This record gives sequence, C-alpha cells and structure tokens, in this order.
Amino acid sequence: MDNNLAETPLTAVAGVSEPSSTRDWLERVLPFASVAGLFLLLSIFAPYFLTVQNLSSVCRQTAVINIIALGMTLIMISGGIDLSVGSVMGFAGICGTLLLQAGFPLIPSIAGAMIAGAAWGLVNSGLITLLKVSPFIATLGTMGAARGLTLVITNGMPVVKLPDSFGYLGDGSMAGIIPVPLVVLVVLALLTGFILKYTRLGRYAYAIGSNVEAARYAGVPIRRYLVAIYTFGGAMTGLAGMIEGSRLMTGQPTAGQGYELSVIAAVVIGGASLSGGEGTVAGSIAGAFLIGLISNGSNLLGVSPFWQQVVTGAVIVLAVAVDELRKRRRGA
Amino acid sequence: MGQSFSDQAHLPISPFSPFIAAPQKIAGEHMPAAQPNLSVPAPAPLVVMRQIEKSYGGVRILKGAHLNVGVGEIHGLVGENGAGKSTIVKILAGEVVREAGEIQWLEQFVPLESRAEAERLGITMIHQELNLAPHLTVAQNLFLGHEPRRGGWIDRSREVSEARRHLERLEFDLDPQTPVRRLGPAQRQLVEIARAVVRTARLVIMDEPTSSLSAKEVGELFRVVQQLKAEGTSVIFVSHRLEELAEIVERVSVLRDGESVHEGPMPRQDFGGLIRAMVGRELKDFYPARVARLGEIALQVEHLGRGTEFQDITFAVRHGEIVGMAGLIGAGRTEVVEAIFGARTADRGRTLIDGKETHIRSPRDAISAGLALLTEDRKRTGLALNLSVAQNVTLANLTALMRRGSLDLGEEEKVAQGYIDRLRIRARSLNQKVSRLSGGNQQKVVLSKWLYRRARIFLVDEPTRGVDVGAKTEIYRQLNGLAESGAAILMISSDLPEILGLTDRVLVMRGGRLVKELVTARTSQEEIMRYATLGEYGQQPR
Repeated sequence: MDNNLAETPLTAVAGVSEPSSTRDWLERVLPFASVAGLFLLLSIFAPYFLTVQNLSSVCRQTAVINIIALGMTLIMISGGIDLSVGSVMGFAGICGTLLLQAGFPLIPSIAGAMIAGAAWGLVNSGLITLLKVSPFIATLGTMGAARGLTLVITNGMPVVKLPDSFGYLGDGSMAGIIPVPLVVLVVLALLTGFILKYTRLGRYAYAIGSNVEAARYAGVPIRRYLVAIYTFGGAMTGLAGMIEGSRLMTGQPTAGQGYELSVIAAVVIGGASLSGGEGTVAGSIAGAFLIGLISNGSNLLGVSPFWQQVVTGAVIVLAVAVDELRKRRRGA
Repeated sequence: MGQSFSDQAHLPISPFSPFIAAPQKIAGEHMPAAQPNLSVPAPAPLVVMRQIEKSYGGVRILKGAHLNVGVGEIHGLVGENGAGKSTIVKILAGEVVREAGEIQWLEQFVPLESRAEAERLGITMIHQELNLAPHLTVAQNLFLGHEPRRGGWIDRSREVSEARRHLERLEFDLDPQTPVRRLGPAQRQLVEIARAVVRTARLVIMDEPTSSLSAKEVGELFRVVQQLKAEGTSVIFVSHRLEELAEIVERVSVLRDGESVHEGPMPRQDFGGLIRAMVGRELKDFYPARVARLGEIALQVEHLGRGTEFQDITFAVRHGEIVGMAGLIGAGRTEVVEAIFGARTADRGRTLIDGKETHIRSPRDAISAGLALLTEDRKRTGLALNLSVAQNVTLANLTALMRRGSLDLGEEEKVAQGYIDRLRIRARSLNQKVSRLSGGNQQKVVLSKWLYRRARIFLVDEPTRGVDVGAKTEIYRQLNGLAESGAAILMISSDLPEILGLTDRVLVMRGGRLVKELVTARTSQEEIMRYATLGEYGQQPR
C-alpha cells in the first residue's frame, strides 16, 4: 500500500507489509531500485565513481535539489506545484549573502534567506487561495518576478567578498568525511517526514491533494494549510539558496535557473502524483539522487552534457508515464 | 406485426417476469386505462427492448426490463429515482452496453453496442446535463462531427445557411452564429433538440428535458415534440412530472427497481394507478424498531432560500427525532442540506441551532456547531480516496489526536479499530485505502468520521445509495441508535420504504419548495409520491 511508504519516510523499501499485487510493489520500489541499479552499474563501469571524493561531491551537488524537493513534495502532495523555486532560490541566496556581506553572522543570514524564501511562498499561496489563480500560473508569474527582483537588487552583479566561514555550509565536512549539506539534508528530511506523518499539516496536505472537496466538507481550513505548505516550501528553498551560495562562495543572481524542472522531476520520479494525494520523502530523495547520479555518471564516462539533458528528460517522461499507467489500472 | 402493439400478451413472459404479476396488481378499478385501449391506433413498432439486464458494481440496475416504442409515437418513461430509467435509455442510445437482452429495430435484431451504431440507426439522446461545446456557435454545434464540406474544407457559409434553415423550420428564435456560451439553459436545450433534428433522427430520447425550463419554454418544447411526431420521428420522454406527461405522451412505461411493471396508454387525469405502479414495493422488515423520545428543537430553519435553487424552506428537527426529506431528483433537497451545512451559502433566511441563531458560512462553522453531513456523493465530497480507512475516520477531528504537538498514531489506530468493530466495517486493515472498500463500507467510514467528531445534528443525504443490503441494515441501526441517544437526524432519501421505515415525520419537496409535511405513521408511499410529483395538487382527491 502506498500509504506505508507515505508514512514512513526514509525507511525506503523496508516495511512493506500489506499484501498487494506484485506490480504495485514493483512500481513502489522502482525509484529505489533504479538508484541502486545505477549505483551498481557506475561502480562497475565508471572509474573513480566509488571514491570518497566523488561520492561526497555527488551528495553536495544533489543536496540543493534534494532540499528544495522536500518542500516540493509537500506542495505536490497537496495537489499543487511550484515553478518559482529556481528563482526564489536565487532571490533568497542573494538576500542571505547580502546579509553576510553586511557583517551579519552565518545563522542570522541563513535565517534571513529562509525568511526571504518563505515570503515568496506566502505570495504564491496568497495568489492561489485569495485570487484563485491556479498554482501553475501563479508560480509561473512569481518565477519571473522573483528572478527580475533579484537582478534589480544586484544590478546583475554577483555578491562577493563573503567571509571564509561561509564555505563550511556547502563544502565543509563533519567527522572529516560526512559532507555538511548531507547532514543538513538528513535532518530536514527527517523533519519533513515527521511533518507528513505526525502533524495536521502533513495529514491535511494528503487530504487536500486527495480530495479538496471532501477535506472542505470535513472542516479542514484549506486556505490556512495551503499557505503553510507553500511557506514551508519557500523556507526550504531559501536554505537551499544559501547552500548553493556557500558552494560557489558568491551570491549569483542567476543561481537556480532551471532548477524547478529538476526538482519537480525528482518528486515525480519519487512517486508523487501530479494530481496530488501521493508522494513520499524517501521517494523524492531517491528521485533527486537518480538525477544526480545520471549527471555524475555521464561526466565520469565522458558523455556530453548535452546528452545528459536528453537522458534526464526521457527519465522524467518515463516516470510520469508509469504514474499514469498506475492510475489508469486502478480504474479511475 | 398485426396485433395491437400495446397488447401485453405478445411480450415474452418468463416465469419470473414482472409482467405477470404487476399489471394484474394495478389493473382493475384503480386504473381502467391500463387495459388495452383500442381507440388509440397501434403504431408499427420502431424499437422493442426485451429482458434487458445491467449491473453496476454488483448492483442490478435493470432486471429484465422491457421498452416498446412505436413509429411516430411519443412515449413516456416514468419511475422513482434509481428505478433504471436513465440506464435503459442510455442502452438504447449506445452509451451503455447491456449485459443481456435483445433489441429489435424495425423488427430486425440489432446489436446496438456503441454510440456510433445508435447514431447510424437514427437514435439521438438529449441529456439532462447538456452536451454542447460552449465556445462554438449554434451552427457549429448543430453540425459538430458532421460538418458540411466542400473539397476538404468546412463549408462555413453552407453550415450557417443550413443551420438557419433548420432553426426557421423549427421556429426557434436562435441566431446560428451566436456562441452557445451566451445562451441560457432553455435555449441550449433548443440547440440540442435542433441537433437531433439535423441528424434526421428516427428516435429522440429526452431525459428530464423540462427540469431546467420555465412553463413557457416547456410549451415551446412540446410544440417541437409534436412537430417531430408529425414528421414521423418517435420520442421517448423520461420525466417525473406526470401532469406534463399527460399533456404530450400517448403511451407510458413504468419501471420499478429495474423491472417493467406497467405499460399502457397515458392517463390524462387520474394518476393513482400510475403512482401505485411506480412505488408499489413491499415494506421490508429490516427497519429496526426505535422508541422516539423527542427532546428540544435541535435544528430550526426559517425561510431559507438561495437563488432559484430553493425558496422559503422552514422546518424544525428535534433531538431524538428522524425527519425524512422526500422528493424527486432536482427538487432541491441536496441544495437545502448543503446550505444548512455551509457548503453553499443561503441568501435568505436563518438557521437556529438549539434555539440560538447561528451563522454558518462554511462547513467548518457547521461542524463547530455540532452538525455533520453525510453527502450524497461519497467519492466527490465524503472521502479522501487516497487516504486510509483510519485517516478518513479521524479527518474531521484530528485535534483530538494531538499529543504535545504531534498526532498520536497509536491512538488513531485504536479509535479507527473501535469504529471498525462497532460498525462492522469490512476492511482488510486500518491502512487499506478507502477507495478499495465497497460502497456500504465506505459509507460506514463516513459515518464513523462524524461519530468520532461527536456531531449532534446529522444531515444525511441518500445514506444507502449504492449500498448493499447488509450494510444498509447496519446504517439504519446506527441512525436509530444516534436518534435514541438524542441526536437530531434529517434524512434525504429517494427510497420511500426507507423513509417510512425510519422517520417520524416526512417533508416533501418539489421544485425548490417544501410542499407538504406528513406524519410518517399516517402516510403512505402513494401519498408521498403524489406530493412529490404533483406538488400542492397532491391533496386533491384522486
């Protein structure tokens, strides 16, 4: 049953207890099996893949997409979508790095970036709940607006002269080997998993995505929870912006361009449905790692980055097609 | 076929055919018109449907039903809600495929298993919910799928001129170049009818065509129907409104619980026999006994109205009381309870809960005031289908599960297991998706949701629709138990035996108004149906 996964983040494939058809089971483990399979193939065929340095770099690279995907998971479970994440990440990264540049310590600067991201979440949810604009169009609009504002604030120039300590967030390691972004990701994934399983916010996200009318008739305050969901997503995106900034040691006004596609792809590959009501933290993380591994593996094997885009595109379409097939078989 | 078409003797009679028993039951002094009436010349048969069977999800909707329509005949099809009227005409229009039974068209057997085939024969159906493309013009809609062409291109000028010719012939005041979205419901209905004519239909099926029309428009519709008849086209007229049918229909068939129980000339005034044929079911004995101990007034509604949906609705329900709400589809019953529940906003009148005026603007307000709504459409408004049984049970009352900021999932399991045991919900596990349960078990989950919320006023809308007999009994038992514990229950039902078996009083609605309040112990299915079909005229001696 999908709910088993939905409710047990990060336990991945284990804990599948309910009897269901083999095909259901296959579809559920597909993202995880793909990651494992690709990992195995690359271990065998790609030199240097299985080195601490390379794996740690894969983690650092995918952490940004992964963290945004956590918020997107919640949003897509509620039946929505957020196309503005790439732009909002750039905006928040600029806000955070400007605070650093002005002499604020790291933690308040990160908080500032998260607040900037959350503010865009608030705008998105306001457009969706008050003006009744569909999430797709509302966030398409803010995608342009956030990027534009970022360029206005910076005049198109990167934010530089950041304190060296900032680099720890993206490039530091704990215990000499564990990348800091990975630690941040694990903590946030556990948090998101907890929200999905143990809070009204998570439960209502599933209920709203599954059947917004039934949720309304059950007395769920839909607007309030949609605002919370998009704001949470915005805060996650803001934090991701700071990690990206830390890895580059600059605040790039163009940071995050095109990330929305990778993030949405990760969440969809991970089993979330575009029509809402389904999705898991573990699945989304597997999806993000799959995309990260495709890119890393291609680099190691010397495949042109142009072809990487083709492969990633094909994987996305495949994932959505599987989702559609699954829905159709359930007999709509 | 030489013999009288309305003569039932030529119908196939199996030992189980309802045709043996039913016409005898309603024949005689109550309904002399049921006898073959030789003053109406029998038309040649156009379509003969025999022993038609159809089930949906294990529920038999049609149980060997029959339908006979002659060439150029205007035929009425009546029956209670859920009797199978829509299903049998949809089979005829090729929209639904029958499971058994034969269909003859002009005395030839035809498979009739697709819309295309029905269209080829000349069968057109005009739906309750209209099927027009709103952005296209009247002319484009008339010829949709059959556009006049020249070369490979659509001949737009001929399309418009042909459309104008048809509209003028029908005396419809419509401009062929108006986009359909600018038309009102009645004009759209005219477009639908014109479309049927354009396709040179032999048989036009109208399913509740007058439900959205004013009296004047109904008159216009009837004129068109007469014109169709004059051109040799047959019409099947599905309707609840007997007095309207009496104006236009020549012969009538009655369906009851998926069986054909009567076929004969349409009576002009005395509908008693027809109504008896529609409702004549035995009261089954599965309605558990209940001791009614009435308390204070729990829910009081005064002059509630909303647009054209319903007007001036005033009634009260006491604690410990079950009040039934009867009426035909489109009478406005669901709209009234949704307005009480805040799912749509009433624009007139007020609601009092336990004697205090309460402003209810959303379901959330209603729930806080102790109301619960078991909706008519479980899949649309009752259940989050992707969620589990347990998650649906607790959805309306998650606050009760909060322990120090997080949901107590152990407690949730206990709560849900409690209701599964108490209501005998048949689910494989607590975590089973509610979409995989049967209709009856789904309804029990919805009921559990409101029991857990500790609602005191229950609005239940068709609680046993699509529910198997076993689950029905369980739901009746729960509703009775609720009333005995002092809850107030307002129950919409189209199942008259259910209304009679469960309620203390019955409110009858028709055309958005409360036309009659009856005491259950002193009424009958016939009386309720009379008010539901004839409104205030129902009280006139039959």
